[in-house]
Amino acid sequence: MTEKTNPKPEETKIGVYVCYCGGNISDVVDVEKVAEKMREHPNVTIARTDMSMCSDAGQSIVENDIKELGLNRVVIGACAPSLHEHTFRGTVARGGLNPYFFHHVGLREQDSWVHSNNPGGATEKAIRLMYAGIAKANLLKPLDMIKLKAERHALVIGGGVAGLRAAYDIAGRGINVTLIEKTPFLGGRMAQLETVFPTGNNAREDLHSLINEVRTHPLITIHTLSELVNIRGYIGNYDVQIRSQSRGVSGDNAEAALAACTQEVPDDFNYGLTKRKVVYRAYEGCFPSTPAVDWEHYDGKPIEIDGQKVIFENKKKTFDLRIGAIVIATGFQPYEPPRGDYGYDELPEVVTLPQFIRHMGLRDGNVGELTWKGHPVRDIAAIHCVGSRHLAGVHEPQPDGILNNYCSRVCCTATLHQVNELLDEYPNINVYDFYEDIRTYGLEHESYYTEASKKMVRFLRFHGDQRPEVVAAPEGDTHPVLVKGKDYLTNGLEVEVPVDLVILAVGMVPRPVDDLVDMMKIPKGDDRFLLEVHPKLRPVETPVPGIVLAGTAQSPMNIQESCNAASAAAAKVAVLLAAGQVELDPYVANVDLDKCEGTGACIEVCEYEDAIVLETMTVEGKEVQRAVVTPANCSGCGNCVSACPHHAIDVQGWEVAHYEAMVDAITMEVEI
Amino acid sequence: MSTRVDPSLLQEIKKYGEIHVEDCFNCGNCTAVCPLSNSNTPFPRNNIRMLQLGMKDKLLESIDPWLCYYCGECTITCPRQADPAEAQMTMRRWLTAQYDWTGLSKKLYTSTAWSIGALIIGALIVILLALGLHGPLVTNQVELNTFADVHMMHTADLILAALLGFFLLSNLFRMYLFTFPRGAQNPPPLSIFITEAWQLVLHMLTQKRFGECEDNKRWINHLILVFGYGTMFVLIVLFLSWFQTDELYPIYHPQRLIGYVAALAIIYGSGDALIGRITKKHQMHRYSQISDWLFPILLILLAISGLMISAFRVSGLPILTYYTYVGHLVVMMMLYICIGPMGKWAHLLYRPFAVYFQAVKEKAEEHNKAIAHAPAPVS
Repeated sequence: MTEKTNPKPEETKIGVYVCYCGGNISDVVDVEKVAEKMREHPNVTIARTDMSMCSDAGQSIVENDIKELGLNRVVIGACAPSLHEHTFRGTVARGGLNPYFFHHVGLREQDSWVHSNNPGGATEKAIRLMYAGIAKANLLKPLDMIKLKAERHALVIGGGVAGLRAAYDIAGRGINVTLIEKTPFLGGRMAQLETVFPTGNNAREDLHSLINEVRTHPLITIHTLSELVNIRGYIGNYDVQIRSQSRGVSGDNAEAALAACTQEVPDDFNYGLTKRKVVYRAYEGCFPSTPAVDWEHYDGKPIEIDGQKVIFENKKKTFDLRIGAIVIATGFQPYEPPRGDYGYDELPEVVTLPQFIRHMGLRDGNVGELTWKGHPVRDIAAIHCVGSRHLAGVHEPQPDGILNNYCSRVCCTATLHQVNELLDEYPNINVYDFYEDIRTYGLEHESYYTEASKKMVRFLRFHGDQRPEVVAAPEGDTHPVLVKGKDYLTNGLEVEVPVDLVILAVGMVPRPVDDLVDMMKIPKGDDRFLLEVHPKLRPVETPVPGIVLAGTAQSPMNIQESCNAASAAAAKVAVLLAAGQVELDPYVANVDLDKCEGTGACIEVCEYEDAIVLETMTVEGKEVQRAVVTPANCSGCGNCVSACPHHAIDVQGWEVAHYEAMVDAITMEVEI
Repeated sequence: MSTRVDPSLLQEIKKYGEIHVEDCFNCGNCTAVCPLSNSNTPFPRNNIRMLQLGMKDKLLESIDPWLCYYCGECTITCPRQADPAEAQMTMRRWLTAQYDWTGLSKKLYTSTAWSIGALIIGALIVILLALGLHGPLVTNQVELNTFADVHMMHTADLILAALLGFFLLSNLFRMYLFTFPRGAQNPPPLSIFITEAWQLVLHMLTQKRFGECEDNKRWINHLILVFGYGTMFVLIVLFLSWFQTDELYPIYHPQRLIGYVAALAIIYGSGDALIGRITKKHQMHRYSQISDWLFPILLILLAISGLMISAFRVSGLPILTYYTYVGHLVVMMMLYICIGPMGKWAHLLYRPFAVYFQAVKEKAEEHNKAIAHAPAPVS
């Protein structure tokens, strides 16, 4: 260690605290011995142990020591920093120190938990880690949180139930909201449902009560047919560019255009069960009520309206907004089974659950007998986990090479809810339910299973690697389709079920949002769903400050959970923007302008837009290029530190000198 | 070879009893708690599953319901209140109807009108025969053998026994056919049927599996009832001329003593069942179909009327003796027509045969395994 980086012993008075963590650490590590060893260190004024440092009692010990012993650095060995670093920084601040005069050593995840079979070694490791912490503490400089002005304006991407809920909740806090929706109509997937669990309410009625609240809210602006095309900036100050398409028809000629249009395409609202015109409303009562032209399918031919030939024109426009925070609520799409899987797309009697729900919604008073393509339906098979819980070696990966190994969570209850409703109306239909596990999780949702049992839905369990087979019945059979499988509950007996209709309980896959992922640099999980920072403690935040997740873009959720997530996202946005400024950790790159030569090597390796740039400035009368950091955009990754040929950059709070001192300390001779 | 499900089977079997197996989610607690089921016969779970899916052939082949003696432990343990024990009972009724080739069994089990009709027909047959064939009514002293000639009665009993035997054995043969379906791989060789025959005798005489139920008091009571009934049956069919005499023996004479003891055994055994059904104290007595009531009631009436004949005879009351005698025969005919070989009475063979058939099945399986593992013959 050089004279320069090692302050004189009398300059630092370090308080060291080693936590038992209620046995989590002390069952393996000899905590008392560690503290004893720390007391030998010349910079350590006091070393203590406690059963639980994070408790009120534990924290006040630290506060008192700072005040009474005049400590000017604190090192605490406890759980992982991700858990309590923030807590202890507050403790240190309450003691009257700069909160960054604190170093947190992870003795639990990094030591006791992973070395439970070697207590002696774990104790030695604890001592070395604590020495390293002390070495770093010696070098700490005072830092301040980075404070940024925040634009009190949120952008919500997606006009489904999660986006609507989030928009309304953010606006309720007095913050402006712009909601953009890619399609011409609000409502998303929820609009395509009929009755929904657990209330049994009509989905569109519930949805429209929310849409009405959103569209009449003075702080919310809605842009349909709009998408994000560019984004720059950082939390509190995002500059976004939005591109909108026109509806093609206006209030004046809309109804006439709708009536006159003759070009028809499969209706995606009904999952292709019906056709609709290219000038269309998604459904009766949709919002906005003005029809729109389906630009993707419109053949460009003129349509005669009131004696005039009209060619619809898509007038695109882009506009810019300054936004403080963004909610991503881009939702899901139902899994589309590959052709031939369970007979899908080959046998006309095989449908997905969303299609079946649309089929039920499309019936016009055909009570008394359920029909499918003109034939009476007497027996139905439902097959669970289609597109979910895929197994390697059993299921074909998706075109992108991904196996959907997750549970889509909603399909079990949704299927049983649908079956129960069906049997209320048509009690004579026999339903056979092929499942791997029934997961009707959630308060009271088990009742859907119980009710289905009572209604004599016959449950047949199969193993994931022994899936049932859906085949066309031989000529002259009583039913058009046979489902064959091994019934796990009859000791693997081969069972053959003749049915008129097969419903595939398809799972959820996220809507493809690679453009957003690339633009915003937010992470995706292995399952393509957008990833939060921490599944428990920070469940709606992305690692990019100011960008939060709502609903099924993040993971399969039912409507209730989507709204929970949306409200949580809204609360997060409100917390960020309500104060008009945001605070960030100061662990960002810092350029020593005396050393910087303006090589630009740092910019080449920087992965964050506008985090570090070269600016022209005058040094000793000469115009030179120097690197300048925009702290809000910097993640503190350190790429630039390693790239700078002149060692002109350091990450505040985690300087190269800190690492060197820590490495020296860790490799020191230690007598145990 | 896959088995086709048949949703109508459950609706059909529901006619035979109070079952709600739709509540069952096949956890298997019932089978785990049952002291009688084992890995070869994992009832009730297994046959309830077949019932849910409507696997008629599998159920017909299964003799498991006969191996259950309805202690009710499974129903008490069932976490879904699916009442597996009553499902076994119901399946026994259904199986009885399936074994019966006349089709009468199904009518009697599923229709109260048919049951009452059968009772009336039984009574009418006896009354008409009595009117046509009875001898002179001697009124100054009891001369039962003059009223009903003992040789004629013995012949009638033998004819009745032959008829019962014919129907019962022919139904039993169908049980055999269902249990060992044609075309099955490697049917058990005859030698196993012979070497396992001792099981049949053992279980018919002792009903020892009944004793393996947790509460074996019911087994003792049933054993007493079977002893009484069997004794009377043998006496009347084989030794009527020794049993029905006009000469009055002292009370300690075996002819009277055996009769009294047997009658009291029948009254005790059936009375126990009847009280059980009235108080519904035990699981097995909660649901009673008409046949469940008729069996103990008719048995008690049979025993009481038998005792009354003796009492009137000893008291020297000729007309009452003759009328009661006819009444006794009426009850007997009602019993055999209504719950005889087409009804609950038939379990006296089905149960021991089920144990026997199961033993044969298991031996045959061992035998087949031994063959499969035997070294190839050196040629």
